[in-house]
Amino acid sequence: MTRFGKRVESLPDLMAEAARAALADAGVERPSAIVVAAMSPEEFTGEGNYGSLVGTHLGFSRVPAIRVETATSSGVAAVYAAFATVAAGLHRSVLVVGGEKMTHVPTPRVSEIIGRSIDPHERTYGTTMPALAGLITRAAMYRRGLTLKEISQVAVKNHAHGARNPYAHFQEEVTLEAVMASRLVADPLRLFHCCPISDGAAALLVTAEPSAVRIAGIGQGADSIAVRYRADLTSFPATQAAARAAYAMAGFGPERVEVAELHDAFAPFELISLEDLGLVPSGKSGRATLDGETALDGRLPVSPSGGLKARGHPLAATGIAQIVELCWQLRGLAAGRQVEARVGLAQSIGGLATNNWVTLLEARR
Amino acid sequence: MTYETLAASRCPRCRRVVIPPARLCPDDGAVMEPASVAGVGEVVSFTTLHSPPEGFRAPLHIALVELEDGARLFCHGDETRGMRIGSSVAVEAVNSVFYFSHMGFADRARLFWRRTGARSEKVTAITRSFMKGMWKGRSGGAS
Repeated sequence: MTRFGKRVESLPDLMAEAARAALADAGVERPSAIVVAAMSPEEFTGEGNYGSLVGTHLGFSRVPAIRVETATSSGVAAVYAAFATVAAGLHRSVLVVGGEKMTHVPTPRVSEIIGRSIDPHERTYGTTMPALAGLITRAAMYRRGLTLKEISQVAVKNHAHGARNPYAHFQEEVTLEAVMASRLVADPLRLFHCCPISDGAAALLVTAEPSAVRIAGIGQGADSIAVRYRADLTSFPATQAAARAAYAMAGFGPERVEVAELHDAFAPFELISLEDLGLVPSGKSGRATLDGETALDGRLPVSPSGGLKARGHPLAATGIAQIVELCWQLRGLAAGRQVEARVGLAQSIGGLATNNWVTLLEARR
Repeated sequence: MTYETLAASRCPRCRRVVIPPARLCPDDGAVMEPASVAGVGEVVSFTTLHSPPEGFRAPLHIALVELEDGARLFCHGDETRGMRIGSSVAVEAVNSVFYFSHMGFADRARLFWRRTGARSEKVTAITRSFMKGMWKGRSGGAS
């Protein structure tokens, strides 16, 4: 993957940088197929036909390429397409590459473009992603008893992790006081509870050959695009369904997970997700976070990369970057932030939790 | 105070009600029937945007409200001061846009009386409301 942050390179250049690194790491010169993930390149950069664009840019113009999109979880959807293609025996090695280029676009316009993944009727009420996250945060504080301090500690922890990751957008720590005093974005959600706007790309190779890490399980969960159709705001049924599918495919449950990368686009989402995934007992995620259970040296390190908050969130790159981080962790290649683990879990949220994914990775050593 | 009636759709199969009206039930795909619901409900959650998207004035108050029969809708409002999750609000449509407004004590009392029927039901409802109030008072600090 590339370093995330404000990058001057074009999106095809960023994707090529990530793709070449992944191919070199796998020792593969030429993949037999390519799956590209990009959420909104037409709007952000004005380019389309991304499968062919990236294939040609990489010098693989005759390698079959497709593009996959599930809003902010597009990266894992591309991994899923590659996994299914290899599992079906259609190809032996599939390159997955995803990315987004956004920092050159003014913030209100970025919000508007990302907001197009929200139900059209609800958008007419000014419901941006932060607005819906604000509603969820207030409901979670009221119904689940989450405190502002517990929510803010997620950002503090993920910045501490990002400070040790050379690929992270933000590589500096923040204090609890700074998070809690940052400006209100969507009451009660504050600026430092929200992930940044980042550029970047990530890539990996899905192969039928034996490799150091295997995909033990991968599952998708869906929910209504309309938030008003949902009975509960304080958990994400799409994450729960994705987790059930992934655990069923793997043949084991959350008890074997030793490291996780979660989708903290907004800090309270990490706490909600910990419980949706069964990694922490119901009602205990806030306390576990304050007690350091999810820190690098804790019982279950969560987002050693820094998460969306500190590593950054270039939309379609994120789901792939989570899996790349876990591969490095399971292979012992995450210098500076290495944890001891054989099984890792990645969770990605698409839209406002309408299209979520859970992937389980296992080291073969 | 009278309450506006809002146009909705009801699924003949699972009985769920959605607003605004939709042709198909989002869950089981059945063709929905026209329905109408009273524009009164409880606040599920709310937020205030200080930098709203283009075309909206700051601060923008948004609430998600659940009406009596379970249908939820997004609304705008003038302010959220004093509002809490579970607060009763009246909802009205102006040019097809829903707006919430706080209900005063007298409005809520009238609504309460209208909702409950026979005398024994009223006693039960008053007791339940009192218990609910105590419960909210206990956990209110979290919001």
